[in-house]
Amino acid sequence: MTNSRKTTIAVLFGGRSVEHDVSIVTAQQLMRAMPDSYHVLPVYISREGKWYTGDALRTLENFKDERITSRPDVQPVLLSPDVRHHGFIVNPLASGWFKKPQVQRVDVLFPAVHGTHGEDGTLQGLFELADIPYVGFATLGSALTNDKIMTKQVLRQAGIRVVDDVHFSRAEWQRDADSTMARIKDMLPYPVFVKPATLGSSIGVGRADNDQLLRASIEVALGFDRRVLVESAVTQSVEINCSVIGYGQELQASVLEQPLSWSDFLAFEDKYLRGSKGMQSQARVIPAPLAPELSAHIQEIAKRAFQAVDGRGITRVDFLVRPEQGEVFLNELNTLPGSLAFYLWEASGVPAGELIDRLVRYAREAYAEKRASVYDYKNALLSVATTSGTKGAKGSKTRA
Amino acid sequence: MSLLLIALLWLVWTGGTVWRVYKQARYYQIEEYKSGRYARWLLRERSRWLPMHTLAAVGLAVIFSLLGDSVPSDFSALPYTAAIIGAVLAVRPPREAPVKKAFNATDRAKRLLAAAWVLVALAAFGAFALLQAQAFTSDRANAIAHLLGGLGVFLLAPLWLVLGNAVMTPVEAMLRRRFVQKAKGVLKTINPKIIGITGSYGKTTTKHFLRDILNGRYKTYATPKSYNTMMGICLAINTDLADDYSVEYFISEMGAYIPGEIARICELTPPDISIVVEVGPQHLERFGSLENVAIAKYEIIKNLRPDGLGVFNWDNLYVRAMHDKGYPAKRIAVSKTVDPASISDGVPRFVATDIVLTVTGLTFTVHDTQTGASVPFVTPLVGEHNVTNLLLATAVAVHEGMTLEAVAQRVSRLQPAESRLVRQHDERGVLIINDAYSANPVGAKSALEVLGLYQSGRRVLITPGMIELGELHDQENHRLGVLAAQVATDIVLVGAKQTAPIQAGVRSTGFPVDRLHIFDHTQDALAWYRANLTRGDTVLLLNDLPDTYTN
Repeated sequence: MTNSRKTTIAVLFGGRSVEHDVSIVTAQQLMRAMPDSYHVLPVYISREGKWYTGDALRTLENFKDERITSRPDVQPVLLSPDVRHHGFIVNPLASGWFKKPQVQRVDVLFPAVHGTHGEDGTLQGLFELADIPYVGFATLGSALTNDKIMTKQVLRQAGIRVVDDVHFSRAEWQRDADSTMARIKDMLPYPVFVKPATLGSSIGVGRADNDQLLRASIEVALGFDRRVLVESAVTQSVEINCSVIGYGQELQASVLEQPLSWSDFLAFEDKYLRGSKGMQSQARVIPAPLAPELSAHIQEIAKRAFQAVDGRGITRVDFLVRPEQGEVFLNELNTLPGSLAFYLWEASGVPAGELIDRLVRYAREAYAEKRASVYDYKNALLSVATTSGTKGAKGSKTRA
Repeated sequence: MSLLLIALLWLVWTGGTVWRVYKQARYYQIEEYKSGRYARWLLRERSRWLPMHTLAAVGLAVIFSLLGDSVPSDFSALPYTAAIIGAVLAVRPPREAPVKKAFNATDRAKRLLAAAWVLVALAAFGAFALLQAQAFTSDRANAIAHLLGGLGVFLLAPLWLVLGNAVMTPVEAMLRRRFVQKAKGVLKTINPKIIGITGSYGKTTTKHFLRDILNGRYKTYATPKSYNTMMGICLAINTDLADDYSVEYFISEMGAYIPGEIARICELTPPDISIVVEVGPQHLERFGSLENVAIAKYEIIKNLRPDGLGVFNWDNLYVRAMHDKGYPAKRIAVSKTVDPASISDGVPRFVATDIVLTVTGLTFTVHDTQTGASVPFVTPLVGEHNVTNLLLATAVAVHEGMTLEAVAQRVSRLQPAESRLVRQHDERGVLIINDAYSANPVGAKSALEVLGLYQSGRRVLITPGMIELGELHDQENHRLGVLAAQVATDIVLVGAKQTAPIQAGVRSTGFPVDRLHIFDHTQDALAWYRANLTRGDTVLLLNDLPDTYTN
């Protein structure tokens, strides 16, 4: 096989999520940065949850056309959970002389789907079934970090400081909003933030400094999720982000960034869509202007958090920091940071190509480790049941 | 009327020939459709090509025919009747011993049979037409002529088979090319790393070990059983691999019966990694000399890509010589005899020491002389030769990124390959050690060592001896006899003639004669075992012969 043994990587993007468009941008950046040693298979999941592949999906311009998925060079595709396909089935329902379902084998899956049905462990569950190495957090870590309430409980357990909060479900609120209000006011001083438990970005997030605003914000948040948490706002703080990559014992934290768009309110438009060029043009300071010891401390916490949530691959850990007091609160973990935090890693001396190489390597390591712990355990149960069944039949025959 | 009877006579002969061709096809198949080998097998015993009862039946029929009327004008039924009865008796197949290896009705065998049968029909019709044209005047002469003509067609059954094969050769070649082409396509799609293993013996075992070890990190597929020919490997690719796109490593055993065969297999499955297990006297009669065997095996190294990896068994001098030729650049040698302290240049790299053989398995220590690491290995496998097989598999696994510890972990869970030193108790509690698949000097020695570990009751060796060792046949079998006498309490040999060197070896040690049992048929040996052994006894079954050697 003197012909190239190129690694085929499927980049999955889009998705049934409010962050559908962001994912397209991330995926295009990723595919552009992909080193030549990889063969890229773009897999686009539409807003409705339909899956497609085709080279036309590698060009951002094409997505301006609403009918991109009906182009002749774009075909339906299915990720097979059957281990023997080790990849996709192109044109799964095709029948005819010229169009037939075809297996498209891939070596590694690279999900670039943000938010729901992407970062929450559901997609990763399918990957596990398909038994294909994949980049990023596994099922548990994805599901966990997707849920702000559960993440904070695990981080507290690991000794990592997070902002105080009160959380409750839609049912609790509907049954007795007043006592829930009382509980919040008892625990947290104004101002507070109200957040849906599982949504990414800032959608449904509200800031409140009085009862009326708090009630309204909770109603809004409960429209997006079944569970909601209310956190006390960390005043006089700056937002600091740190990306971590790695697997097992091999962990690395990036330099820190300080986004400058932090104001009174985290508007969705502000976070992702400022300017015309998307996320990269967001105003930020790299490295963040903090004391070196504080920076190192934050990087250390980021790595500990990564391990606490069973991380692998890449994440961006967002902190709220009070530089004067030296107080650091972990705000959230993004298992698929926008733009894959390329800008942070380039500033840390890891160019995008190398970053991708490493993420692919971690994916393969994780897969290899999974293989090491799975043994073909042939149970004698079936053969025993069969023999004794036959014996039973024989016995009844002789008795008859 | 006479024409009708003659037609009937020919029907009997043709039917008989068709049946005989079918029966012969089994032996032709065992000889791998090699006409020369088949002819040699055929000629070894007269009854195979010239059955006595056929000659007797035809002879009697001729005599009875002669009693018939010779007057040209009158029709006489007697000669024809005698001829037909004679033919019926002549084609009646002899009673056969139960077969161990049945005819395998592969597609190729079916095509061959069809071709041979067409030839039989053509020959029968040709002979019939030829004799009709003679226009014999007496019924007697007419009947006898056709009777003898039919006998000829019948006796030439092996020829029709061989000719049928010759006719089908271009067709088979075309079908094979297509099959190979398909396999190449499958390999190109799935694109796994390819590991080739060759050696006079130990190939299959090493293959299975390597598959089970590598599977702890990579999805690994190995060709099933001992598929080691071009077509066997293609079959594995086209059936198993074509159905599983997840395979990352493809391990293929490459056997050689003739020089150039491995090179051809390498063209289909160009190895990224090649392993040479052993060069020994297996199939020596086909190669002539051990040097020729080594040249044939070296093809697996010669056909590696320049950046490929060669893995060598340092303990075999022929294999060590391959290592020392210096190709490819990346080479790993393994040994279970060298003292690791004496190695300074990392060659051989993986060395086993402190090898202890117990009833429950093997323990030994593996040293990586390049890193200085050493890890204890424990396996439920028996047979010291498995240490070499495991070292070879370890070398590949470590090269592909597994740690020595991870390899040791996998090794502790290995199971012996199918029917290679498998141990199980029969229904009466006699322990059977089965090494029935393939016996070679190295494996036989290991198996006998294992037999020697059992001290609870009688230790019995049952064997027909080792075959296909060429000029070393007598010497190696004599040595087997000596070894067996040291270990076993009873020795049961199958086949008085072919086991003569073993008998000589056994006797040379002063082994009690009444403990040496010789039978002509496997069935008799098994009957002895059933009648004489009980709980606590141990039996080693060494080598199982194809029917061509016992019939």
